[in-house]
Amino acid sequence: METRSTWDPWQEMRRLQREMATVFGDAAPGGRWLLAGDYPPINLTRDDGGITLEAPCPGVERASLETTVIGDTVTIRGERKAEPGVPDEAYHRRERMLGSFARTMRIGDRLDPDRAEASYAHGILRVRLARAPEAAPKKISITS
Amino acid sequence: MATVTTAPTQAPERREAPERAVRTMAPRVDIYETEKSYVLLADMPGVTPDGLDVVAERDELVVRGRVERPTTTPDYQEFELADYYRAFSLTEDLDADNTTATLRDGVLRVEIPKSPRMQPKKIPVRTE
Repeated sequence: METRSTWDPWQEMRRLQREMATVFGDAAPGGRWLLAGDYPPINLTRDDGGITLEAPCPGVERASLETTVIGDTVTIRGERKAEPGVPDEAYHRRERMLGSFARTMRIGDRLDPDRAEASYAHGILRVRLARAPEAAPKKISITS
Repeated sequence: MATVTTAPTQAPERREAPERAVRTMAPRVDIYETEKSYVLLADMPGVTPDGLDVVAERDELVVRGRVERPTTTPDYQEFELADYYRAFSLTEDLDADNTTATLRDGVLRVEIPKSPRMQPKKIPVRTE
């Protein structure tokens, strides 16, 4: 007779908790959470001229923001630091995420690294990406 | 001990015009205390100073932010900007009339001074 393992919802819950702990890191004494994976969330909008990437990441140190374009991938990095000079015991509530983040996205089209432009306004990072000349859409006219 | 307490994070009462049917969410906040004040930091990416509304009344601090709706739908989407709303209860030991608010890089910072009688006062000791 075939033996089947029964599904244990509590085990599933514990697994999810472990995953969350991996993603957000331990709440270290400094209260700093190292973020990895899905922060910040990203939207992509394509048009004939290129691709626009948008990522909300409020309060990031401007000097830490970095955008790298290689082949068909773009990587964004940044860091948000805690308020200077505020001890942990002064906090009544801490919901905002702190720490470094890095996110790499494969766009699908070969990109031109020399024509990428990034801006940061109102806590949203916007990266304008241009396709490499060979990947730019071409209009094919019908000859017959 | 905490004198700034958050109201339950329930769906906010809509006070905007009904035609603006956009999603509203509660911003994530940090609250800390200094010797002279309470400081609230709220993540509100996409909000400009024109779209921000901070009201400190007798026993309540209300934070509202409006975001510009994008005109195009993204081809790949992980987030959707939403208007922000969150209310906080204020206790009597705060000087809400002198609240200050600043917005920088999508982070709202609200500072509410403690009322003067709640601030520590140094008592000079005379030597005899």
